[in-house]
Amino acid sequence: MAVHLPQPKQLRDLLTDLLGRDVTLSPSSPFAPGPDTPATVAVYVDDSLQIRALIACDLAFSARAGAAIGLVPLGDAEAAIGDGRLPDPMAENLAEVLNIAASTFNVPGADHLRLHLVHPAGPPLDPQVRISTLTLGRREDVYVDIAGYGAGALSVILL
Amino acid sequence: MKILIADDSRVMRQIVIRTLRQAGHGGHEIVEAENGRQALELVRTEAPDLVLSDWNMPEMNGIDCLSALRASGSTVAFGFVTSEGSEEMRERAASAGAAFLIAKPFTPEAFDDALRGVI
Repeated sequence: MAVHLPQPKQLRDLLTDLLGRDVTLSPSSPFAPGPDTPATVAVYVDDSLQIRALIACDLAFSARAGAAIGLVPLGDAEAAIGDGRLPDPMAENLAEVLNIAASTFNVPGADHLRLHLVHPAGPPLDPQVRISTLTLGRREDVYVDIAGYGAGALSVILL
Repeated sequence: MKILIADDSRVMRQIVIRTLRQAGHGGHEIVEAENGRQALELVRTEAPDLVLSDWNMPEMNGIDCLSALRASGSTVAFGFVTSEGSEEMRERAASAGAAFLIAKPFTPEAFDDALRGVI
């Protein structure tokens, strides 16, 4: 079986329901973190623990989504963006968003995936993980605007 | 009544508590667990009327927690609140003795529908 590539509507519906806010998606160029780009990368595995997909987010989306799910003030998200890293509670909140995002892979007839681990934005990314985010092919790249919190980039990458 | 919420995410435990309130099930005593093992222990010591549990958690996952509870003779009402919403997972949950499975993200209506049968 193959891994299902989540469609933009699935991602929008998931984020709208989870964050309890209007969420607008627009097409974006692939998010390609460089060695010094703060980026969150969530790693998804199948039932044999093979890594099959990644979700990579820029610092802006990471902070805004991590704040929005916990009703944390927007100012805290802006401060994290200014600092270039997510504070622990915001990273923990974002991890739950990315955990629930696993459900967008799990449609009938597709391989079952679950979240394995999250590298939160801030510390340098493991080079192998960073290079994997640059994979071309089956991927979905969107710009996500969360009402009241602002926008950032998110990419779903199948490996 | 006393409700035990088991989820490794603090923010998700808060969201579950908030959603219970929005669904018209506020005012219950809430006990929180960070994983299945802690939930198992708290069912013994706190004797909750209902367990709302995540599926994927460190230490012990939700389905193993439910199986251990049933194996020990506990008949506590148990429902999953999880991102695992597939038919296969629902069948596994039901055959292990779960009363319901609420898929994340969820609405207050989904909570009310599930809880009305057990509260």
